[in-house]
Amino acid sequence: MKKPPVSGLIVIAVWPLLHAQQEVKAPVFRDAATHQSLVPILREASGNDPMKKLQKSEGADPAKENQPQNLIESSDLISFQGLTTLVPKRAIMQLPEKFKDRINNHTPGNRVVGWLEFHAMNRGWITTVEISRSQAGGREALAEDLSEQLTKSKNMVVTVLDSGPISSMPYRGDEKQQQEDIDK
Amino acid sequence: MIMKTQQILIAVAFSTFLAPLGNAQGTADGYSNFIRQVQLPYEPDRISRDVYVPATGAQLSPLEINPNGARFELHTVKAVPLASYLLDTKYVGSSVPIGSVAIRSEDPYTQIPRTRADRPFYVDITMTNLLSGAGDAESTKKVNLLRHVQSYGTGDGTAINRSQASLFSQNFLTENGSNTLTFTVSSIPGADRSKVRGEERFSIFTILDTQAPPSQLASQLVQVWPVAHGSISGIASGQTITLSAPALTLAINDIYPDSQIYAQVYQGNQALGTTGTILPGSALIIKETVPQNRILTVSDWDYTITSDGIWTVELLTTTPFGVDRLGWVSFNVDWSIKVNGSVTTIE
Repeated sequence: MKKPPVSGLIVIAVWPLLHAQQEVKAPVFRDAATHQSLVPILREASGNDPMKKLQKSEGADPAKENQPQNLIESSDLISFQGLTTLVPKRAIMQLPEKFKDRINNHTPGNRVVGWLEFHAMNRGWITTVEISRSQAGGREALAEDLSEQLTKSKNMVVTVLDSGPISSMPYRGDEKQQQEDIDK
Repeated sequence: MIMKTQQILIAVAFSTFLAPLGNAQGTADGYSNFIRQVQLPYEPDRISRDVYVPATGAQLSPLEINPNGARFELHTVKAVPLASYLLDTKYVGSSVPIGSVAIRSEDPYTQIPRTRADRPFYVDITMTNLLSGAGDAESTKKVNLLRHVQSYGTGDGTAINRSQASLFSQNFLTENGSNTLTFTVSSIPGADRSKVRGEERFSIFTILDTQAPPSQLASQLVQVWPVAHGSISGIASGQTITLSAPALTLAINDIYPDSQIYAQVYQGNQALGTTGTILPGSALIIKETVPQNRILTVSDWDYTITSDGIWTVELLTTTPFGVDRLGWVSFNVDWSIKVNGSVTTIE
């Protein structure tokens, strides 16, 4: 193989440096822009608005509809011993009377933490139940023995999917039954 | 058609805080970040699942996005006082178009795109997964590009309610690929075009279909700050200095968040671009997130004037956009002292 000339290699090595130096531009001095100087620029910009090249769409502002809810308002806050966490509404499946003051009763100054950290320190009074997506949506019932077990529990029960708190709807019956309910 | 995986990687790659402007926060700042996954359509299952997320990182959501997609909402919760802020949302589904929006300006600041009222910015839009078949649903063939503008008034945008932003225009995107839109200056409302302060937001939304309402695929905002202005007082144009240089007061308003301020003096009439001697006490470095106002005093600057004649004092600011002259005063210097008198002797 023919070796490239050494001078060629040097040029290749030095070229980026030279190029970089060329790119260092001298600062641009100008008098600060004023309203008077900007009005014609804005006028021209309006005429050349790049959005105008796209097909116009009509209708109400979609950004104002279907907005996510405020996280705190759409969550239940669980607080205990200086910590607060939040779970989606309807993730607390069972709440014994004695723990009611720990729900949505955030103490100012509590540290807000994720569910896993909070649950790790509060396993004594919080039980989790793993549910499926179908169960979360109320399309599938919980296993009977699990329901029975939960009813007997004196702990607060939170529904989780793969350890993450998830909202759960009550079982709505089978699809045939649901359709019959709708038809009524 | 490119099928997305049924599960989705939740990626959070944001950094430190600038109010509720779109960055997930570190817990050390007293903020905790949550991503809420809402399955669409919301009714009748009403499924929401939360994950706690650090300021950066990625994890796999175990909740399938099929069949109709899911909305991922990034919220940050401030502990004291307790408040939550929605930072970003994305709608993801196997048959949902994928879009991204990025905004560039001449300011290399990385926390949030920002520019100045007189400077351009560039909106890079990339679309994939748009279909074009005759039998494909309309919602898979086009998306809506929204441009919102919102003035901060005289404030700096803290705790701004973005639902109050005005829809400036909306247009369809019907083709896959990348496209850059160049905006010479901002269209944020304001009577004085050099003093507008606010933000422009570009968002891509799906169009209404039978499965989900119009939902956000991507969004990015750019902050626009006003042009600085300033004045030099303590010396008048055309004034002659004979004994000593007077104390000067420099008043500067709306200093760009990343800038330097200084006053310089040089011999001769004003000439933009001249390099002079920086006046003592006039140099200031600003590294902030919002514009600043400052009043500076300059005194004992006689030594900078080395000869009689016409001299000019200029007030300048250096920003990512260049050097702007905010004001100047040219004056005369006559250091020579003439003594009119006589001495006589009488014997």
